[in-house]
Amino acid sequence: MSDFEIMIDGQTVGASDGETVLTAAIRAGVSIPTLCHDPRLDPAAACRTCLVEVSGSGRLQPACAWKAQADMTVVTENPRIKRHRAVLLSMYLADHALDDEGLPVERPNGNQLREMVIKEGHAFDLVPVAAPRGNREDKNPYVQFNPDACILCARCTRYCDEVEAVSAISLAGRGSATTISTVAERSLLDTSCELCGGCIDVCPTGAMFEGKAPVHAPEAIEKVRSTCNFCGVGCQLDLNVLDGKVIKVTAPPPGTTVNDGNLCVKGRFAYDFVHHDDRLTTPLIRRDDGELHPCSWDEAISAAAAGLLAVKKNHGADALGFISSARCTVEENYLVQKMSRAAFGTNNCHQCAAT
Amino acid sequence: MFGAGAMTNSIPEIRDAELLFVIGSNTTEAHPIIAMEMKRAVRNGAKLIVADPRAIWLTEIADIHMQIKPGTDVWLLNAMAHVIIAEGLQDQAFIDAHTEDFGEVIAAVADYTPEKAEEITGVPAEDIRQSARLYATTKHAGIYYTLGITEHTHGTDNVYCLANLVLMTGHLGRVSSGMNPLRGQNNVQGANDAGASPIFYPSYQRVSDPTAQAKFEAAWGVDLSPNEGQNLNQMMKEMGKSIRGLFVMGEDIVLSEPNTGAIEAGLNGIDFLVMQDIFPNETMRYADVVFPAGCFAEKEGVFTNSDRRVQLVRKAVDPPGQARADWRILCDLARAVGYPMPAYADPSEIYAEMASLSPKFAGISHARIAEEGGLQWPCSHVDHPGTVTLHGDGPIKGKGSFQGVFYRPSAELASPEYPLVLSTGRTLYHYNSATQTRRDGGLDAKQSENFIQMHPQDARRLDVANGERVSVISRRGQIGAVVERTRSVRPGCVWMPFHFSEDMANRLTNDAGDAVTGTGEYKVCAVRVEQFSG
Repeated sequence: MSDFEIMIDGQTVGASDGETVLTAAIRAGVSIPTLCHDPRLDPAAACRTCLVEVSGSGRLQPACAWKAQADMTVVTENPRIKRHRAVLLSMYLADHALDDEGLPVERPNGNQLREMVIKEGHAFDLVPVAAPRGNREDKNPYVQFNPDACILCARCTRYCDEVEAVSAISLAGRGSATTISTVAERSLLDTSCELCGGCIDVCPTGAMFEGKAPVHAPEAIEKVRSTCNFCGVGCQLDLNVLDGKVIKVTAPPPGTTVNDGNLCVKGRFAYDFVHHDDRLTTPLIRRDDGELHPCSWDEAISAAAAGLLAVKKNHGADALGFISSARCTVEENYLVQKMSRAAFGTNNCHQCAAT
Repeated sequence: MFGAGAMTNSIPEIRDAELLFVIGSNTTEAHPIIAMEMKRAVRNGAKLIVADPRAIWLTEIADIHMQIKPGTDVWLLNAMAHVIIAEGLQDQAFIDAHTEDFGEVIAAVADYTPEKAEEITGVPAEDIRQSARLYATTKHAGIYYTLGITEHTHGTDNVYCLANLVLMTGHLGRVSSGMNPLRGQNNVQGANDAGASPIFYPSYQRVSDPTAQAKFEAAWGVDLSPNEGQNLNQMMKEMGKSIRGLFVMGEDIVLSEPNTGAIEAGLNGIDFLVMQDIFPNETMRYADVVFPAGCFAEKEGVFTNSDRRVQLVRKAVDPPGQARADWRILCDLARAVGYPMPAYADPSEIYAEMASLSPKFAGISHARIAEEGGLQWPCSHVDHPGTVTLHGDGPIKGKGSFQGVFYRPSAELASPEYPLVLSTGRTLYHYNSATQTRRDGGLDAKQSENFIQMHPQDARRLDVANGERVSVISRRGQIGAVVERTRSVRPGCVWMPFHFSEDMANRLTNDAGDAVTGTGEYKVCAVRVEQFSG
């Protein structure tokens, strides 16, 4: 439902009161480059890549923050805007780690600045900025920061303030030495940080990264969409698989699933258990020595069937109990109750979360 | 009550709420992503009322924190109902159209004045009044609760009290306005939906209903028992008595069930135990046969979340060694005892069989979810879009009934010998028996040992320092814990997580169960704290 219409690149687009030019454009399928924008955050207009021409303003204006108004005309692509972007990207390049080809270094989660430079080009080569951003040691294994890849868009600090609302990290310092830091440069473990890792997820350039994940090329990963196995929120997540192992977990884009692009510390980082050495890898059977010993599947299934049937024979079906699991799938719970009722003949079946 | 046990609203509706009443839920730690939606609602101007014995994170942004004494919820909630009725704030049109037996509640709460409630609950009468007024007079007001409400011997009474508030204010069947139990585990909702219950077949069809029995007998090709089974709490207490053989899938009952000592004695008393899990655990010490299973990343299927959303689990990697997906093991075991389980090619066929027998999920299939994303039940046919908000046209089963409820004290109260009231729960950094999370370096770095939160007054009286290891003793057992002095707990109350197998909090907890559900009283038991003694 729109309140009025605006014109974007010659296309009539419905917009509503309070809406920005950018969100109206996204809905109309018009692509405007951004680095600091996230639909979960208040607009910051920090990166300046989304500047467009709007009627009534002589200057270019940031689409992410400029409010749409009735009968407004917007131009997102013309020589003036392209020139602005090329000059802007030249300045970013002067303050960013570059590879041998002079492009922003690729990162495991991708680097949107690199993609933008490849697409838009740049105007000229500036003298590199000589004031390196500070960094700090952080003993936490999850959230790490690479100042050379940071463009100070503040998506991470704004996410920490506005979405996770713990304000553990902030912009620190002045001028070109500005960096991302914590109170008294403490480890995140010693701050209000809850290690949700949202800062990694929102970072457009890979400056915030996951300390324990291996370094890899982004395209080497197969992402498998699944549902988190911890609490009952049902967050959708992407298991990042490399060489048959889950090496990282990432969130689907905001606005696409029930978790709106968010994950918590467990959903994002607690995947080491999948490939842990302690996993049970063989059936076990208790033998006459009183100890559990590895055995074949056939022997384990036969022994389990015989043991449960013996109880049924001696004491009746209702002497058996079947405890199903709120951790397992719906189908598996269906099968446990079906087995309990149809194969063994008892309704003594309950899922583990019942007490 | 008014029908199905599930969130009546959806998680994305939380951000548009005008008022959130959070009771018995430490949402930022137990459901962090739902908490993000709550934080967003508060940023957008929603009022937040929190009722919790501890000053949890949400109380920092709450308008009112009712720091209730553990186990006195019925007093608090009845007093809120008392205020609403006394001040005429109820939604009489909704009550007349959609409910019955309101008179029962009027009579039941007549004596529950806020002033008397203050004496019992420790919550100032004025806070109770303000909360009741705000809740009753705000249009889009939702209640959010979890195990702090249900893990009591009067858990069902607590839920009735909340339902009474919902019904008398008409806060049902509207966006962001309803009654929302947040499920603790990934698939609690789905396990219930699938009939892992002693009284229900899939889709909440009663085993005692001859029509349902006949339907499942025809589908499964065998005679079925018409007798309701034992619930989990009963089975745990009957081990070695009427229960002689047990099959346990995906739960460490020794670590997770209340009163560990009694569980261990019961396991010693049964003839046969089969266990199916992904890690060795405490229960394995008693197992005769152990099946190694696949974790969620190693199999296909669906989980159903708190807002009734059925979503796909997809296989990303192979199970380790000879481990196998649980559904394959279950089919083999059933066949080994002579039951002809169909040759399901994959879990989508199992789901299809269940859906064909389940009116609530009849329209849901793996193929549809893959195409459209998660689907929320009820979803009665393939063209049904799923249901975002329950009870849009009034309570599901005809009229919602009020239940007059009267306060009963918790099963165990503080005494001279055990002067402190212990509540247990989950932390952000670990998950239940923690077989998964304690195997992650960062989480274990953040929280590596058992702790007990204690008010500085109590710590001074007991002469124990912050960081000191103490013994915590109840009538059932004794464990160690490191003291965390904090004003976030009430004087006289202590709090402890249950994640640590070397210091199992459930050695202390009381296995007295709710009369209806059998849920154990994890939230209230009496303990004393002493200098550490091994």
